[in-house]
Amino acid sequence: MKPTDFLLCLIDASGGAVAGRTLLQKRAFFVTELIGEDFGLKFDAHYYGPYSPTVEGTATQLKNLGFLQESSTGFGIISDGFEMRRYDYALTDDGQYLVRRLRETPTYKRISDATRRILDADNPNYMELSIAAKAYFLLKKKAATGMTVADLIKEAEKYSWNISQESVRRAIEFLKSVGLASDK
Amino acid sequence: MLDNLEIRDPVHGFIYRDSHEREIIDTKIFQRLRFLHQLALAHLVYPGAAHTRFDHSLGAFHVAGGLAKALFLSDSDRRLVRLATLLHDIGHGPFSHVSEPILRKHALPDALPNKEESKIHEMISAKIILENDELKRHLGDIEREKIVGLLAGTFGDTYLHEMVSGPIDADKQDYLLRDSHFTGVKYGIYDQERLRNTLRIHDDNEDRVLAISIDGLHTLEQFVLAKYYMTTQVYRHRIRLITDQMIERGISLGIEQDKIGWLTSLYRYDGTSDFMKEYVTWGDDRLMSEAWHQKDSLIKDMFDRLRERRLFKCILDVNINDFPEPSTRSFVFAGPKDFYKPLEQRVAKEFGFNPHHVIAYGVDFPPATKTESQVPVLHKQTKPTLFNDESALFKSADQKIREQHFHIYAPVETIGDDKQKKKKFREYREGILKIIQELANPQQPLQFNAKGGA
Repeated sequence: MKPTDFLLCLIDASGGAVAGRTLLQKRAFFVTELIGEDFGLKFDAHYYGPYSPTVEGTATQLKNLGFLQESSTGFGIISDGFEMRRYDYALTDDGQYLVRRLRETPTYKRISDATRRILDADNPNYMELSIAAKAYFLLKKKAATGMTVADLIKEAEKYSWNISQESVRRAIEFLKSVGLASDK
Repeated sequence: MLDNLEIRDPVHGFIYRDSHEREIIDTKIFQRLRFLHQLALAHLVYPGAAHTRFDHSLGAFHVAGGLAKALFLSDSDRRLVRLATLLHDIGHGPFSHVSEPILRKHALPDALPNKEESKIHEMISAKIILENDELKRHLGDIEREKIVGLLAGTFGDTYLHEMVSGPIDADKQDYLLRDSHFTGVKYGIYDQERLRNTLRIHDDNEDRVLAISIDGLHTLEQFVLAKYYMTTQVYRHRIRLITDQMIERGISLGIEQDKIGWLTSLYRYDGTSDFMKEYVTWGDDRLMSEAWHQKDSLIKDMFDRLRERRLFKCILDVNINDFPEPSTRSFVFAGPKDFYKPLEQRVAKEFGFNPHHVIAYGVDFPPATKTESQVPVLHKQTKPTLFNDESALFKSADQKIREQHFHIYAPVETIGDDKQKKKKFREYREGILKIIQELANPQQPLQFNAKGGA
């Protein structure tokens, strides 16, 4: 499945809209991790966690093609350095028309199931998902050294983001609930 | 230590290099870059655009040195970044980027496992740096491996890689200014000195990345706008796109139809040293000259047209607004390009063109390209933000650069006065849109936008 179709399926499986491009990036990341397939998105380590230029470029392409609608909301400057302006994405009528064809494919079901698992895991917000994504990157990188969840919390504190212990705890809980981390 | 070894450059003034760097510049493998035009045949549009990969490599090398100094790099990192930038284009073949799709298409599968994703000139650059005998004489094994690793992003801190290959790397910082200077298009000018002096290395505890101080925000915006204007005015100039496609088609015809042995060998990348030895002997002029000497061949016909500037014309230019029906829009702009060939054949048949002379081409910007959007902006008191969130201009320019068009080129030689031309182009448009619609939705009734004459 090509990246344009993947994003259309992901947004459809998320209820037809995703609130914020950070959330879109992180949700796409976790869905590819849960499915075990990259779909050409090539996530890379980044300051605010895994980031795929393909997700960003493809979302703009889909917007230009009239399959996604983008709306933005301003929040002013936020002290923790996250988005000051949130860009929400929603399928347009034309986008929904295309997705209807994709819904019949086995890949759509895999994307939909993985998205469901993420949404069911207490539906973390984009910030907690960002922490979880960055923590998961660390977990994967340091898996060989036997990193524990407690170690992860310590590592997360070093990110230089202004985040609470509670946010870190919820992010780790999210990783555990979708089966991407364990206490062992 | 820089000696007083100067090269006068029209863009940067004097470029200084030390005696060791001069030895590398003086190698045959580097000097061959003098015979590769930076913008292929853009001089058919902008007569001044005759600059070469040689000039650009020296310019990028100079810019990299300035960045290294401004960022207080160690002597060893500074040397590495300068050398990597100097050699970053060493793997280009005739007509630079125009050759790449042909190389990807004809490479042996084992030598290029993923044809869609591979940037083959970078792969060839790495092989030249690692295996070329001249470079081996001037650079040690470890140093050559470090240069290749730095260019690929597998060695060194992220900010070092970003200086040689990233959204605001020395390569782009040079080529925007250089292409602007030589084409005479002033839009590519931005404040390079200010950009250099406001770049910073940002440490987020895990990684060190290239960032910009809030004081440089508007300079980076100016850089983004320069890229946008140069893309729309030069890199995507319609005649330039046509000449690039004519070169590509001419070479493909020479390989696939004329079955010219030397041409096939030039583009059948197999990763061997024999291939590399032959590959580096070719430049734009040699390929042009050899093509002109292929009697009764399709490549000669195409390259004669280029020499005499009897260029193809764009007989269809459509964008998303021309396809209100979503599945056709998706088919043309977001689907695989395997409909191009059947479309070309049907257009040729419909309008009486030679099928070899109808070219379908999608004008787009690869979605995977890393842009300036994620460059951290450093504030004096608050946490870093991203350029994408700070800049009022970036998103509009980025969105415009990503706007997709679909073109058909064909040899329309003489079609009468203006009234007749308009009538003829309307016929092309109506006929081709009908064929596209049929290819996209074989079972559905016709539906396309009447705007523009259809």
